[in-house]
Amino acid sequence: MTIAAFLLLALVAGLVIYDWATLRGKNRRALIVEIAVFVAGAVFIVFPDRATALAHVVGIGRGVDFLLYPTVIWLVRESLLSRRHRIESAERLTHVVRELAIARAADVK
Amino acid sequence: MPSHISGRDGVEALRATLDSLRARDEAITVFLVDDGSEPAISPSDLPATNDTFRIVLARHVVNLGQGAALETARQLALRDATSYAAYVTMDADGQHRAYDALALARAIEEGADVAFGNRFLGDSNVPPARRVVLFLARWFERAITGLRLADAHNGLRAFGRSALERVRIRQNRMAHATEIKLLVSRAELRIVEVPVSVRYTKETLARGQTNAGAALILRDLMLQYLFGDSK
Repeated sequence: MTIAAFLLLALVAGLVIYDWATLRGKNRRALIVEIAVFVAGAVFIVFPDRATALAHVVGIGRGVDFLLYPTVIWLVRESLLSRRHRIESAERLTHVVRELAIARAADVK
Repeated sequence: MPSHISGRDGVEALRATLDSLRARDEAITVFLVDDGSEPAISPSDLPATNDTFRIVLARHVVNLGQGAALETARQLALRDATSYAAYVTMDADGQHRAYDALALARAIEEGADVAFGNRFLGDSNVPPARRVVLFLARWFERAITGLRLADAHNGLRAFGRSALERVRIRQNRMAHATEIKLLVSRAELRIVEVPVSVRYTKETLARGQTNAGAALILRDLMLQYLFGDSK
């Protein structure tokens, strides 16, 4: 195992332990999904040839590209969806705060 | 009039602005929106009202931004039982003069749908760095709205009722100034520019918009362009 693979595995293990410690008792299903994805990632880190073999099957040159392409596409989409949800939430908050302000508005005597 | 105050200086600046409006011999209603000030603006912070000078105080329980406060004031004004000859927006931090607010209102009474303040024709002491930012903002706004105006992001503006009904502000923060110009340009309204004086002091510069805020305005406009239909 290379130094890079060892460091990446340490990072993955550290993240899983941190999330398990901080999320324990809540979001258990999400944590299980995260661990499953990380374990799959760890397998490709330890056995990069497997990723390359899979990449060749679908016509991509390198294993890392096989993983990177869909990941980048998914992250960009996730970023846009997340931004839209934040804007919609902010809009709802604005509406509530404004209606409250208007309902309570009063003439200064 | 949007107001987000922190500290005694802000209260005094607000009170001075309201006092100067009260001193004018005109019938004026101020729709004052406290945009989440801590502590909240209380009626005791404000000058006394009378038959010709009325204040309607509303409060955002959290700070939303100047654009949101203006939109709340706009909705309050449109829901008010009285229909007014002109609707003027102005800052509460002491930068704007009551005299100029009334000059803008007069422009509406004389037939304009919208009157924008032009600080470069008035007796304004615009700092050099702000001049550069405003020059760039003016060209940016000209490019996206098609309006050839001499000033940009000036909080002193006035609307007739039908124009006000058509200017629904969705930009909560400072990008509302560009949004208003965009809405006005699309509505094909009669526009005039009126000379106004904007006073920059250490205090108003500290309380007001920073030059770096231009980047945030561009970001907000871009987000509205991308996601505006979801809002």
